[in-house]
Amino acid sequence: MTISLAVPDILVARARAGDLEALEALYRAFETPVYNLARRMLRHPEEAEDVLQETFLEVVKSIRSYRGEGPLWAWIRKIAASKALMRIRREQVRTAELLDEETAPGSPVHKSLPARIDLERALEQLSETSRSVVWLHDVEGYTHEEIAELMGKTVSFSKSQLARAHARLRRMLEKEGAAP
Amino acid sequence: MHCTMDDLLALRANEGSAWARRHLDECSVCQTELEALYQRVARLKALPPLGPARDRWPAIRDAIVAERRRRLRRWSGVGLAAAAALAGLIVFAPFGPRQVDAAELARAKQQSATLEEELQRYGPTGRVMSGRSAALVAELEDRIAVIDGELARVGGSAAQLRHDELVTLWQERVTLMQQLVDAHVTRVSYVGL
Ligand SMILES: [Zn+2]
Repeated sequence: MTISLAVPDILVARARAGDLEALEALYRAFETPVYNLARRMLRHPEEAEDVLQETFLEVVKSIRSYRGEGPLWAWIRKIAASKALMRIRREQVRTAELLDEETAPGSPVHKSLPARIDLERALEQLSETSRSVVWLHDVEGYTHEEIAELMGKTVSFSKSQLARAHARLRRMLEKEGAAP
Repeated sequence: MHCTMDDLLALRANEGSAWARRHLDECSVCQTELEALYQRVARLKALPPLGPARDRWPAIRDAIVAERRRRLRRWSGVGLAAAAALAGLIVFAPFGPRQVDAAELARAKQQSATLEEELQRYGPTGRVMSGRSAALVAELEDRIAVIDGELARVGGSAAQLRHDELVTLWQERVTLMQQLVDAHVTRVSYVGL
């Protein structure tokens, strides 16, 4: 999804001054893109909603430090991506989930895979780390360097996650019977 | 041997190895794979955006309002000003509306705007700043944000706030803005900019 959300400067100025109406207008403008980003990265819709909420509370708190140095969406998107990644890290710590869990032979994910699967569902089958990398890189246009920094990982980690995500998507879509 | 997914991704990024580039020229299988990669990404980008099932704004708004109340209580200076204004309301109310100098309000607003302009000249945040002055600036910005929040809250309905309370808030804002500008001036001269 490509977003070119232009928000009037006056609205940003009012939001910066703490005007609740302006803050709500900002929320309405970015509600779907922020949620969509979080939802593409995270498996559970409720978690994506939590990220949406956390992101806007951070926006409210920090908007005074945003001085229009780049598009507002880019600034908000980075906050949202960080919040989602923080959740993924916490979840990994909690379950000690291995990053390559999804490639383990005979994992439940593989068994439950239907013969026909569309891209949307194929994406859902990836680990949260993999789908985050593929989404941030291929859809949002982040570089591997930026993703590595956001994730606190190396560039080669980001590159190998992307390659594995594509290899898996390709296999799953092949089963669908139609390339790609 | 065909290109791996790593090879294909590198080719897409114009970072393919000499071998991969040569191979791609000759191999129709890998050409098809690369094309499939492009198509997959195009399909990813074309996925319809997903929206939240529930409206989270009420929860966000409640959190903002609760946080502002908490801060107002924390900053006793602001709290005292509000309390004094409230006391004034009670004392003077029986004697009819108090005569407030509108020029005083206009002056405070003007001073505030002038200081905002001055502040803009010091450029974006994130420049070199010592931990101490960064903390001071953050604190002052916080307090200004609280006042701005109050001003915004009452801005829509003039009846909610008396003129003298408004003046008090605006004057408090000017004081904090002056301190903020001073903090930046000190910082800028300190790092020799
Ligand atoms: Zn080949």
